[in-house]
Amino acid sequence: MALLSIRNVFKSYFLHGKRIDVLRGVSLDIERGSLVSMIGASGAGKSTFLHVLGTLDAPAAGEVFFDGRSVFAMNDAEIAEFRNHSIGFVFQSHYLLPEFTALENVAMPALIQRRDRGGAYTYARELLERVGLGARVDHRPGELSGGEAQRVALARALVLKPALLLADEPTGNLDPTTGEGIHQLLREVNRDLGITAVVVTHNETLARSMPRRLRLAGGQVSEA
Amino acid sequence: MHPAERQTVYRWSFIWTGALVALVGAILLGVAITESAAWAETAGALGLSLVGWGGLVQAVDALALVPERAAAALPIAGPRMLIAGVLVWLGGWGLVAAGIRRRPASSEGPSPAAGAPLYPRLARYRDFYWSTLGAYGGGILLAELVLILLQTFLSSGGPSPELGGASRASSGGGLALAPTVAFAIALCSASLVAFISGFVGASRAQRLSLPEATIGVVYLGIPVPVILTLMERIPSLQLALGYRLREVTYVAGLIGRPELAYWLVFTALVLALVLGINTGFIAAGSGRVDLKLGFELFVARRHVAVFRPSLLLGTLAVLMFGIIPPLLVYFIIRGAEAAVERTRVRALGMADPLAAAAAQNHMKQHEQSPTMMMTALSVGGVGVGVMALIIVLSVMSGFEADLQQKILGTNAHAVVNKYASEMPEYAKVMEQIRKVPGVVGETPFIINQVMIASEGNVDGVVIKGIDPATVGEVTDLPQNILPGGDLAHLEHPDRILPRRGLDDDGAPPKDEELDPIIGTPAKGKAQPTLPGIIIGRELAASLRVVVGDRVNVVSPLGTELGPTGPIPKSRAYRVAGIFYSGMYEYDSKFVYILLKEAQDFFNVKGATGIELKVADIDDARRISNQVVKVLGGYPYRARDWGEMNKNLFSALRLEKLVMGIILSIIIVVAAGLIVATVIMLVLEKRKEISVLKALGVPDGGIVKIFLAEGLQIGVAGGLLGLFSGLSWCVFIEKVGIKLDPEVYYIPALPVRIEPVQTALAVVIAVLVTYLASIYPALKASSVEPVEGLKAE
Repeated sequence: MALLSIRNVFKSYFLHGKRIDVLRGVSLDIERGSLVSMIGASGAGKSTFLHVLGTLDAPAAGEVFFDGRSVFAMNDAEIAEFRNHSIGFVFQSHYLLPEFTALENVAMPALIQRRDRGGAYTYARELLERVGLGARVDHRPGELSGGEAQRVALARALVLKPALLLADEPTGNLDPTTGEGIHQLLREVNRDLGITAVVVTHNETLARSMPRRLRLAGGQVSEA
Repeated sequence: MHPAERQTVYRWSFIWTGALVALVGAILLGVAITESAAWAETAGALGLSLVGWGGLVQAVDALALVPERAAAALPIAGPRMLIAGVLVWLGGWGLVAAGIRRRPASSEGPSPAAGAPLYPRLARYRDFYWSTLGAYGGGILLAELVLILLQTFLSSGGPSPELGGASRASSGGGLALAPTVAFAIALCSASLVAFISGFVGASRAQRLSLPEATIGVVYLGIPVPVILTLMERIPSLQLALGYRLREVTYVAGLIGRPELAYWLVFTALVLALVLGINTGFIAAGSGRVDLKLGFELFVARRHVAVFRPSLLLGTLAVLMFGIIPPLLVYFIIRGAEAAVERTRVRALGMADPLAAAAAQNHMKQHEQSPTMMMTALSVGGVGVGVMALIIVLSVMSGFEADLQQKILGTNAHAVVNKYASEMPEYAKVMEQIRKVPGVVGETPFIINQVMIASEGNVDGVVIKGIDPATVGEVTDLPQNILPGGDLAHLEHPDRILPRRGLDDDGAPPKDEELDPIIGTPAKGKAQPTLPGIIIGRELAASLRVVVGDRVNVVSPLGTELGPTGPIPKSRAYRVAGIFYSGMYEYDSKFVYILLKEAQDFFNVKGATGIELKVADIDDARRISNQVVKVLGGYPYRARDWGEMNKNLFSALRLEKLVMGIILSIIIVVAAGLIVATVIMLVLEKRKEISVLKALGVPDGGIVKIFLAEGLQIGVAGGLLGLFSGLSWCVFIEKVGIKLDPEVYYIPALPVRIEPVQTALAVVIAVLVTYLASIYPALKASSVEPVEGLKAE
């Protein structure tokens, strides 16, 4: 069974009272362990699609099944737990919490679960070392460069070993060299940890490097 | 049905006009009722109509009355006015109704998604939870009943015939606690009931369910205080309920205005319900009970760092010394610091300009954010409120305690007497009373009103016949006697030293002058020893007498036959002592003589009554009831000090309550600051809220985080206020603030720190800040994850 099944999902947003249908009955399966890229024009609804996959946004109609379970039928607590356990997000901006150090930021998902702090920090430190930031553990996000912050964000997304990693233009704000580093990390995560990843991107070359490529246009998703 | 068809359109001009017309109708109706003087009959129904029960009550009334006065016409004087009022009233509501219209069906065609299954959670959505309405409405009603029943059960001395009936089997009647203690227990239990029902209701519906709460409180909660309030006004209600609710009305009457007490208590119960609803929503709103706080506090502490020494000390300094002095000190320190820093940076820049730039950047990072400033202001606001409450209430308590001490020093805690007769058997009665537990002293007395005259002046006073052997058990009279006099001289008037030079043995002509008028021959016997009398300091001053002087007491009652007909009875006394109680009223209006003398003077057999002292003055009411029970009830009766001085003390309590409410407004203003601060925080942290939600914090967790932020401010402010308030109180107590003795009859501002009252001020502040942060916290939790995550 596919890890993620999207069935007949509709989603619109409203601009000055006018309805714009960005998803018109999208149906799609994403297999476990796959690495998927998604491309599309600006405003085509790539981010919206990703948000719906990650339960950050509710569709107007249709269902998303994760491991055979309808995610939008869950109550608030179950959805929150689902986001916490099963999904890791990386956004275009790093969205780290400014009051906390890099270490605390990475450990945050574990702290939300009320796991033991010592254990969470130990694993978070390991992850930070793995993304090459072992020396920046106690720095606040304001003291990190863009690439470093994005790597911290990636470590944060991975701290609970989620089944699905959703990345929304993770390199959009970075220069090509730094961006390539992040992409390299993503591929490693997919290969070494077996984490399914969906990466939205503008970067055609990057998209081509992924095993499966999707294109979102006219409210429909097609294989590219 | 298509969702769009259910939408309504409002025509506000219609609705406003309709409301105005209906108001005019209501005024017309009011005028009609006033003209026919029918308020007393209609007030009950109208009061309940306001909350929607009026129709039902009137239907029941009508059913009960129809057989009786089937033919009786309405006794209303101005039918025309009444009909006009009703018509205008109905017309107004008609206009309001006309202003609400359905929106016409949308003309747009179906969207491409028509027919697709709706997003499941929206499909499952429920508008209204009857069970939650039941929990809220039933809960507030139950809480009120619990309060009334418990109060009656706990404080009634004897078996209460109706209300305590259910529980009488187990404990044999009321528990006979002091009314205030019983009230505290009852209020706590009732609040707990309200809290639990709010919690259950909200956790069942998994949301706040405000419509259910409003309907529940308005329809099921308000009628009880309405009935209690109307009971004071409507004789029939008073007849039906007054006796059964006597314990409740007694406690409410302690502050002089029972209605105010009913509504305050009702507000407290509603608050408990609201707290329960909120807690239930936070704990279980997202689908499961989650009361842990560790993570939320971790985040909240980083967001608002209230417990920083600099902030706390700064606020405390402002609270203790006012705004200007700490500000001056702060500016001086900051100014000096900045000067030093600038010099350092310039020196650095001389050597390496880039190092100076780095240092400047470092300084900039230490600047405070506006939210920090707001936080400090909110903490200060709450602190000022709590401090003012504590100081003012403690000073008022000081005045009250001073007054109470003076009144109870001169008066007994309770008085036992008989309805309309004197008490010849007082010795036997005293024997019986002695056995009542809680009574620690008793003394018989006779009281009457007389004129007292000296050579210099004349005054009307209250004269009391006392038993010097036992009077000390009950009042402070023996201690209040000023040096020079002695209570024992009442018994042995021969020991009173007459004032030398003026009224010594060499001045008998005065006696001779006086005695022929009374008609009693003074000569023939040796000079008789005059009985002693003790008078107050102010009276002594106005009569211009000292110990050893002679005064005449004239009783307008009881006459003696003189040569020219009946003349008022008169006796001469010698001042045996002068007392000073500290109460002007007592020091100028009370005189004491021997019980025996008084019996003789006023032709009283035995005593007028017996004065009691009890172990615990707050328990005086119960003990005096107990005494009456031991004596067998009628014709004996007992009144405690609270009852005898009811007006004075209830006025004091009302004053204190109103003062407390007014000062709480400071806290409410501070709460407004907290709302603003937390809203600013929420706006500032929108992005972080979205991120936390994306990381898996449920809505309840977000609410908890921001509630904790508001609460931190409240707790910090409350503690600072407590500390500074207590410090000021101690300062006033130790150092003292002098009062003008001419005006106050008290040398310095009295202070009494009452722990319960002080704790209550802090608790109120924390509660208010908690309530104030509920709204911003809910706002924070309703931030959608995608809102904050839009790409910049």
